[in-house]
Amino acid sequence: MCLENFSSQVVERHNKPEIEAQTTKEALLTPVQISRNENEKVLVEPSINSIRISIKIKQADDLERILCATFTRFLMMRAENFVVLRRKAIKGYDISFLITNFHTEQMYKHKLVDFIIQFMEEVDKEISEMKLSINARARIVAESYLQQFS
Amino acid sequence: MILLEERNRILEETFRERFSRPVEEAERIFLTLHDFDGVSYLVETKESKSIVLFSMSMKCYPELRQYGADNVLFREYGSLFQAAPEPGFEVTLRIDEAALAGQNTEELVKKLALLKRNALAAPFEAAFYAQSQGQQTNIMTVNYRDQEAIYIMGFPDRVTVIFSTVFKEEADQIFGRVFLQEFVDARRQPAIQNAPQVLYSAREPPLELRGLRLSDAENIGYVTFVLFPRHFTPGPIREETISRIQLFRDYLHYHIKASKAYMHSRMRARVESFLKVLNRAKPEKPEDQKEKKTMAGKTFKR
Repeated sequence: MCLENFSSQVVERHNKPEIEAQTTKEALLTPVQISRNENEKVLVEPSINSIRISIKIKQADDLERILCATFTRFLMMRAENFVVLRRKAIKGYDISFLITNFHTEQMYKHKLVDFIIQFMEEVDKEISEMKLSINARARIVAESYLQQFS
Repeated sequence: MILLEERNRILEETFRERFSRPVEEAERIFLTLHDFDGVSYLVETKESKSIVLFSMSMKCYPELRQYGADNVLFREYGSLFQAAPEPGFEVTLRIDEAALAGQNTEELVKKLALLKRNALAAPFEAAFYAQSQGQQTNIMTVNYRDQEAIYIMGFPDRVTVIFSTVFKEEADQIFGRVFLQEFVDARRQPAIQNAPQVLYSAREPPLELRGLRLSDAENIGYVTFVLFPRHFTPGPIREETISRIQLFRDYLHYHIKASKAYMHSRMRARVESFLKVLNRAKPEKPEDQKEKKTMAGKTFKR
């Protein structure tokens, strides 16, 4: 994650994350996609002053899909607090991060990387936990109701 | 609080409080309140301070009247039941507190809180009766909510109760499916093997209702309860079963919403923890206004 300051070459006195603006092709580096399988992948798009990381979270069935969608919506609504989160995910992915040189100047780089990795692990864990708790709850609800009839 | 109650607590407490005071101290009352399924009540003293008019507005009452609801209410409330309800309402009970004086009113209080349940019990009782005679009834439809209905059919050997329920949001639909699948599977447990059989169909109306040409939209589900004679033997078991079945739809939706709320609070907590991790990435800012000392000994804030 070697990001340096880079003023916009298109508009004077502007400083944009080049990966978002995509105006000067020579400032962009090759994107890398790392996928475990069709349903889980990470896309890393670097440029000279910013880097965009998009994650597609594993969603096996309807319930996980809904949980994932709600969860990412929660996070993206609070993108201001998160600073490095992007408000909208890239098409084909569930959530995206945008890290600019300003962020790396203000925060420790290795901690940022730690954060992203921990995020990926925790999201999967959280969604599985929520799914388990819903199933357990459903079982209890059904049992309580039907037990009244015995 | 997992199970919903079939009696209306507010009504029960209002009446209990009223009847416990002597008739001379009776005050005017004008109380409106709402219950499940769009039912609303009005308790008022119109004619005099000691005569209470207790009215219920229930949109589906005309249908229930077809199935004998008037008889049921007359049986339960006797002379309190008014043949002509107040304008704007479907059922009115007229309670003369002077006539009650001295009697034990606890029974009456409990019965009054069950007004909605008793009204809705009519088609169930009709179906149970038909089954006990070995007859088959037509499909009895009760459109108790805007787009949802209960269908009751008595057969010679069982009674089938079918709920059609609408899930307004996609999340509700998916949660509902998970919950209802558990209802269907719950009979595997030895403890509840005697419970009624539950069947669930996501969009298609079940076979018994094919004749009615019901909607099969994406967000509709049909839940069928098959009740055998042991579930409605006359007496307390029958009364309990009727009360429980009536509340099924509200019970289901209540728990779906409670689950959603729980998920939300869990996600919020998780988001907080992520934020904490991220903040660890920021180096500590130098404290504002730290006191500093120069070589000469002067202190100042910078």
